[in-house]
Amino acid sequence: MLKKGFLTTVAALSLVAAAAIPARAEVTFMYADWIESLVEPGIKAFEAETGETVKAIKLPGQGYDQRIALDLAAGTAADVNLMDSFMVSELASSGYLEPLNDLAAGWDQYQYYLPGLLEVASYQGKVYALPTDTDVRMLWYDKSNFEKAGIALPWEPKTWADILDAAQKLKDAGVQYPFQLPAGTKQAEAATMQGVYMALLGADVPEGDRNRLLNRETGQWIGDSPALRRTFDLYHQVYVDKQLNPADLNYATDIGAAVRAALANDQLGILASGSWEDACLWDCNNPPSREERDAQVGWTPWPGSGEPGAKTTTNISGGWTIGVNAKAADKDMAFKLVTAIFDEANFKAWTLANHRMAVRTDISESPEYTADPFLAKATALAAETTGRDTVPGYQTVSALVQQATADILDGASVDDVIQEYHDALVDEFGTDKVMTYE
Amino acid sequence: MKNQSNPWLTSNLLVLGLGMLPAALLIGVLLYFTAWAFAFSFTDLALVGRKSVEWSWVGLQNFERLFTRKGFLDALWTTVVFVFFSAIVGQSVLGFLLAATLRGTQSTIRSVVEVCIMLGWLLPDIVAAFLWSATTSQTGLINALIVVPLGFPPISFINDYALPVVIVANVWKGTAWSYLLFSAALDSVSREVVEAAKVDGATPLQRIWLVMLPIIRPHIATNMLFITIWTFTYFPLIFAMTGGGPGRQTETLAVFLYNQSFARGNLGFGSAISVAMLAIVGVLSIFYLRLLREPK
Amino acid sequence: METNPTHSRLTAIALTFMAIIWVSPFSWLFLNAFNTASTGQLEIPRSVGLDNFAMAISGNAGRQFLNSMLIAAGTATLSVVVGIAAAYPLSRLRIPGRNAFLWTLVLLRMLPSAGVLVPLYFAAQRGGLLNQLGVIIALTILNLPFTLLLLKNFFDTVPIELEEAAYVEGATLFQIVTRIVLPMSRAGIAVVWFFSFTGAWNEFLLPLIFARVQDAFPMSVGLYAAFGQQGAINYGFLTAYSIIYAAPAVGVYFLLRRNMNTGFAGVGVKG
Repeated sequence: MLKKGFLTTVAALSLVAAAAIPARAEVTFMYADWIESLVEPGIKAFEAETGETVKAIKLPGQGYDQRIALDLAAGTAADVNLMDSFMVSELASSGYLEPLNDLAAGWDQYQYYLPGLLEVASYQGKVYALPTDTDVRMLWYDKSNFEKAGIALPWEPKTWADILDAAQKLKDAGVQYPFQLPAGTKQAEAATMQGVYMALLGADVPEGDRNRLLNRETGQWIGDSPALRRTFDLYHQVYVDKQLNPADLNYATDIGAAVRAALANDQLGILASGSWEDACLWDCNNPPSREERDAQVGWTPWPGSGEPGAKTTTNISGGWTIGVNAKAADKDMAFKLVTAIFDEANFKAWTLANHRMAVRTDISESPEYTADPFLAKATALAAETTGRDTVPGYQTVSALVQQATADILDGASVDDVIQEYHDALVDEFGTDKVMTYE
Repeated sequence: MKNQSNPWLTSNLLVLGLGMLPAALLIGVLLYFTAWAFAFSFTDLALVGRKSVEWSWVGLQNFERLFTRKGFLDALWTTVVFVFFSAIVGQSVLGFLLAATLRGTQSTIRSVVEVCIMLGWLLPDIVAAFLWSATTSQTGLINALIVVPLGFPPISFINDYALPVVIVANVWKGTAWSYLLFSAALDSVSREVVEAAKVDGATPLQRIWLVMLPIIRPHIATNMLFITIWTFTYFPLIFAMTGGGPGRQTETLAVFLYNQSFARGNLGFGSAISVAMLAIVGVLSIFYLRLLREPK
Repeated sequence: METNPTHSRLTAIALTFMAIIWVSPFSWLFLNAFNTASTGQLEIPRSVGLDNFAMAISGNAGRQFLNSMLIAAGTATLSVVVGIAAAYPLSRLRIPGRNAFLWTLVLLRMLPSAGVLVPLYFAAQRGGLLNQLGVIIALTILNLPFTLLLLKNFFDTVPIELEEAAYVEGATLFQIVTRIVLPMSRAGIAVVWFFSFTGAWNEFLLPLIFARVQDAFPMSVGLYAAFGQQGAINYGFLTAYSIIYAAPAVGVYFLLRRNMNTGFAGVGVKG
């Protein structure tokens, strides 16, 4: 009896579920839940203005990248989509995204976007998505531990040696995590961006992309270079030779919470991270006041390695973007939704309320934005930022970089790690797509 | 034995065949997709980008790289340790001991223990990972209740004992299946046989070893196969807890497979890893089958 | 074990100790769920309340619960029905190589379903199955090897003499199956149903990828609402939600428990 009832219910309900999917709505939109406070007012404004309805689907951040890649490939994607900036070139190269240059030409607010950030969402000279926010990366440090270790404040390291020196003093003073440098596959993109790339950019002279993962002139990935060796050697010194940090924070189940707890308990010396930390630092439930933050932690730009000719400070930026599906039924309408979301009033309110770094000059130069001392100072850093290598294949290379740092944690030598990294690049891209320096 | 002369069967072959049809159809679909996974292991198929559409055949290259590149052999060893201690020793032996001990105890204790074991089994993997990491963290339960009160400095278990920690967590999470299977199996051992052994002066250990174990041998073999397969491919708990680290310390084949297929995006290589895993467990299962088919 | 009172008291103490160890990690789950200012640390709550549970059941949780039930019960029921129809003939007819075939199928299920996600998705799209029915069918396909092997083993333990007797008294095949075989292996069916149910209840990726509208997400997807950006996890929500999430499966277990305890006896019999 029970089983029969079940079957009928199942059949009936699946019919309902199938029928509940409506005939294609005018504009469809897919986004991740964390950005709802930006997009939802935008959707309402769009609906009020045009009279169209937006069919929106909000997803958890988990699995989002996988779903959007599948959706676009299968032609089942929404007209407008939120995506991580590093996916844009990959998706654009497969022809899944609509170039926005023509659509945006008629939009008066397009001119305010920072060109460097549009570049991150570009492929072969065309812009495929508009950024929602950006970030900069820096070294945070715990002031009370620095005092305990007898290091003068404010801390302004000029070279990597200064960092290692400070970390050694912190270690000697009994600080548990003297220099938390993101490493390993569990850190994922954080190991590449907050750790390896920040060091790499200052490791060698910035000629011919000697200090990057990709030679942008020839489109070849760099399998071996002095910069890569110096960067991995920095990791080796921190985690193996000098034991300046235990590995466990990189492998905590919830890395963010573990880092916050370490900061709250005064166990952290230097933390290689980014501007987003300022939003809550050690307590996300009751974010500390500006005074409390400034009393406990400070930050400084990443210095260069100290090699002659290398950059004195480095920075790299990422962020999320919104783009239009190449198969959208009505592309003008779809782009109109994008402009409604990014309309100045809405975008500015969200940027300020969420303590984001602005991607447009009309917002970053507004009095409300410049009144925030942290944002103002961090945005100055963004002026000279580097976009990550958002070309097809970046995701793979980033995973290989993360694996290389993980192997260093296990004690592998720099030579072995470089060899393994080089071979893996050749495996993935072929010999002619991989080069070495010196 | 069943034989073809059973008339209610032979006169209804068509009906029986029709009954098997839906399953045959679905199995056909499964085999079709499995064939895809096999075929992918000979290609350079990628998760995203150009090679996700324009993949090409690369012969045995992916399989060669299992041995010439770092990762597979290390992960295989980690997996063997993980499966042996968490599934075969942990879940299976502990499950059996619990089942044997609880046999005949009063029902309240039995219920309480059963509920405890089942709660672990039913908790979502991701939450179980958080729960175990909170239990083993430096401010966690073990340090707060045992290590620190005994006067030792708190131990960072994930740093120093990552593999044992995930093994214990997996024992906690998965013993339910072995326990339920063995307790049911022991129910089918007749009490007379056990009583007879007791009269003959067998100790409790001898009764288990010489009387009960041989009777339930088929159950042991089936259980071994199932939990070996599950533990070999079990992924969410380790991935959420340690992501395979520190370094590669807890990188089992399932985690390695995920990293290669999804983080690195090389589905072709990932498929080769899973085909290799299949071959390894296939060899093990022949061993289990021999155990199963032992003559009476 | 049986008669010796000291012995049985020692066993009871050992078991109680065991139960305490087993259940103690849950302290983290409950302390955080009832802590209105939860941080994910193991600590005694400063303020106790049901706010987290209120948050967990607000929003889409009701709808997600129904979806989870639909997917889990639908998958379990479809697996069992399809499985019975095929397992009975497999158990009774002497089809050559049937055991080897079933073992091979179980082994083939080792290949991760994530590896075939892309072709599976394209197939579902072509078949118009990007909905709950598609999820149920996909999960049933993935379940079927285990279901078939277990059900066949249970049917093997039903004595064929009973069926012969019923046939002599004039019963049809349908009557034999529904009046004798199924009731005799009721316990085994409950086992298979329960494990299919819990498997589908915990499935995350397929429903996430297949759902076209937000209202189609099950609770396993809803759980991830606890994960904000930049690693700020809402532990109060996560723990309260996971208690609500696990409760129905525990409830189903207790409903089936009596059946399952005898049902497991059939699992190992004969490959």
